[in-house]
Amino acid sequence: MTTTLTPSPGAATTPTPNSRRRSIPVWLPAVAGAVALAGAVGLPWLVNGYVISLAATGLVMAVLAMSAQVLVGLAGLPPLGQAAYLAVGAYTAATIATVTSLGPIQLLAATAGGAVAAAVTGLLAVRARGTTFLMVTFGLGELVHAAANAWAPGGSEGVHTPPVIALPGLPAMVRPGWVYLYVLACTLLIGVAVALLVRSRFALLLRGIAAHEPRVQATGHHPGRLLLAAYVLAGGIAGAAGALSIAVTRYVSPADAAMGISALALAAALIGSGSMTGACAGAILLVAARDWAGGLLAGHGTTLLGLCFLLLAYLPRHRLADLTCRFPWRRP
Amino acid sequence: MTTPSPHPNTNSPLLRLEGVSRSYGVRHAVDEVSLDLHAGARHAIIGPNGAGKSTLLHLIAGTLRPTAGRIRYAGHDIRRWPPHRRARAGIARTWQHPALTRPLTAAQNVLLAVPGQRLAALRTDPRAVAAAYQALTQVGLTDHADLPAARLAYGDQRRLEIAVALAGRPRLLLLDEPSAGLTTGEITGLTQLIRALPADISVLLVDHNLDMVAAVADTVTVLHHGRHITTGTPTDIRDHPDVRRVYLGATPTSPPAPTNAASACPHPTGAPVLRVRDLRAGYTGAAVLTDITLDVRAGRVTAVVGRNGAGKTTLINTIAGLHPAGPGSDIHLHGRSVAGLDTRARARAGLGLVPQGRRLFAGLTVDEHLALPTPHPTRARTVTPRQVLDLFPALAERRHHRPDQLSGGEQQMLALARALVAAPDVLLLDEPSEGLAPAVISHLAAIITSLANRGTAVLLAEQNLPLALHVAHDIAVLDRARIARHVATADLRDCPDQLHDLLTIPATATA
Repeated sequence: MTTTLTPSPGAATTPTPNSRRRSIPVWLPAVAGAVALAGAVGLPWLVNGYVISLAATGLVMAVLAMSAQVLVGLAGLPPLGQAAYLAVGAYTAATIATVTSLGPIQLLAATAGGAVAAAVTGLLAVRARGTTFLMVTFGLGELVHAAANAWAPGGSEGVHTPPVIALPGLPAMVRPGWVYLYVLACTLLIGVAVALLVRSRFALLLRGIAAHEPRVQATGHHPGRLLLAAYVLAGGIAGAAGALSIAVTRYVSPADAAMGISALALAAALIGSGSMTGACAGAILLVAARDWAGGLLAGHGTTLLGLCFLLLAYLPRHRLADLTCRFPWRRP
Repeated sequence: MTTPSPHPNTNSPLLRLEGVSRSYGVRHAVDEVSLDLHAGARHAIIGPNGAGKSTLLHLIAGTLRPTAGRIRYAGHDIRRWPPHRRARAGIARTWQHPALTRPLTAAQNVLLAVPGQRLAALRTDPRAVAAAYQALTQVGLTDHADLPAARLAYGDQRRLEIAVALAGRPRLLLLDEPSAGLTTGEITGLTQLIRALPADISVLLVDHNLDMVAAVADTVTVLHHGRHITTGTPTDIRDHPDVRRVYLGATPTSPPAPTNAASACPHPTGAPVLRVRDLRAGYTGAAVLTDITLDVRAGRVTAVVGRNGAGKTTLINTIAGLHPAGPGSDIHLHGRSVAGLDTRARARAGLGLVPQGRRLFAGLTVDEHLALPTPHPTRARTVTPRQVLDLFPALAERRHHRPDQLSGGEQQMLALARALVAAPDVLLLDEPSEGLAPAVISHLAAIITSLANRGTAVLLAEQNLPLALHVAHDIAVLDRARIARHVATADLRDCPDQLHDLLTIPATATA
């Protein structure tokens, strides 16, 4: 459903960036994308309400995985605290929800909230690299988790929010099918924005930093500022995921900032090994393993998730092999 | 990106270093170096390992800050400028090892460096693309523009680095060992490339390849232990007695006259313990060693000498199993082939390595260093740390000190002791004299000789020719990836100039 992110149209004619992987026929991604999109849109008419709400959760995680991918896939910095910005976004949206139930406004406010939170904490985070970055973002995530427990409205109980209205004049969305379609539309919108980001010169510089930071510095750029900008963008995307999260569950609690959510997002990004489409697929796969297949296996979802992580560590990931210098043994 | 000089006086240098120093604690990596570089200059910095050449480039590029002195560039004091600001002012650089974004294509790598592009730009500015292709044309890589950098041959990666540097339209180009790892043909191409650069680009290069330096540079500065020795034309430099002295370690006659301890060997030449046949090795396609054939006998010291970059360390590492040997290579230890074994198995079979730069364990004390390696139960010989420490009285007094609390000489002794605790039959020594004072070197020489007298076979890779002449029974000269000569030391002691000529600039190479 997010195959629109696959780079490459126009690459054959002009010697511009992203002219990789010529072996795949040009029409294949387009056809696969159309089929996936049709499947995604038609899902509410195909499966029951439970699976639809799971699919919506999967989309929320896909957005969070894209946020993680901006950092680990482009800049080579593995974040383990993206759920914190999701929670900030979710609480922002929940606060806005007391004023208006209009979804897009909640989404924008949550994006801004996540970005501001990331801008403040990012000053600390982007000083670190590699494993240290992992630790710093983990620490920041836990701090936000603790702060949500202590000070957020509702405390550890969390806050319930009213159903979201997609556009002015429409009724509030109560049925999971409509919520799912709203989340799908928002995810596609965010996906398009991320696709543009990935093709920008900014992304090229981030990849340069991941490979050899002093080299980018020697071309006259300030790596710290670029990384901070990437961190803020990633925080904004995570915040948007927060707004979608309360649209799905109508509920936000400190548990949304839990480390397990961050780890899932990072793992999904790693499964995607550098590609945004891959990160989304990974997120949906992991949510399916945790909640859906886990339900079929009498509640062993966490076990299955753990096995997925292990499998991921030993699977041959050829694309990641190209990026060995990026993660996580990179030295500044 | 331009910082026009406030004084458009052609006589004022583009870059001026005034007493620039960089120290790490008490060690001076660069010590009061002053240098003027005029616009359009082709200037080279040479010197032995650890002379501070790369550090000096880092100081100019801004990746390191000087601890003293001033750096003036185009009329500005740039001492406090961060690297990206210096880059925007026109200082471009390359690294000793290719510093490329490997998953990106060659063209994308160059595009990263083209100035004046918007960050949010989705479509690359056609002018930037043109500039990138111009830089690729300058180094002759247009055919590979769409290949990922990781897929380029090593020599092409080095050229791509230069294209990336040129794409920033520099006024000053800093090249850190551009010829490292290149074949002779590629070096010729590189020489032509640098010579063909426009005259408004000043070039400052650091290189060990003296042939290339002579062909490229108009002026050469020699550094030694961070100090400026002399500056002059390549011809002046070649004949300068001080340069011959520092570049080869010490004067040929300065250490104590060769004693006959080495020749009075109690072990008559027996069957070689270590046999190396047709050994080849290289780095990502660039051959560093070809057809190396070498025997090391018990109780004898074989020295491998050669210029920097000749492949001495690669040879030692390939024998130790740290670097993969090429196809057809054969390494026998005690008549058994060890070519297929990993480093650990070779160490168990009796190979001991004292690596270049010592590679001590930073957090461990002397005692802990010596407690780590033990002779494998299958080995006949056993050695206790106490016996080893008897060889090094100075270390025995510092058993609870960590490496950073030891002097350079003590560190080297510790590295040697660590190898000896495993009771090796063959000891591989990689530049043991590097960075050591003459008195310590003579102590080291005595230890190496006594080890050989006890029956250990020693393979010594050494840049310090007097030390090699002093301790070795025979000397192999490594030049252009091959063993150019292999002679008994006794034949050489009488006319050391022979070796000097092999190791300094060959007469044929001065263009």
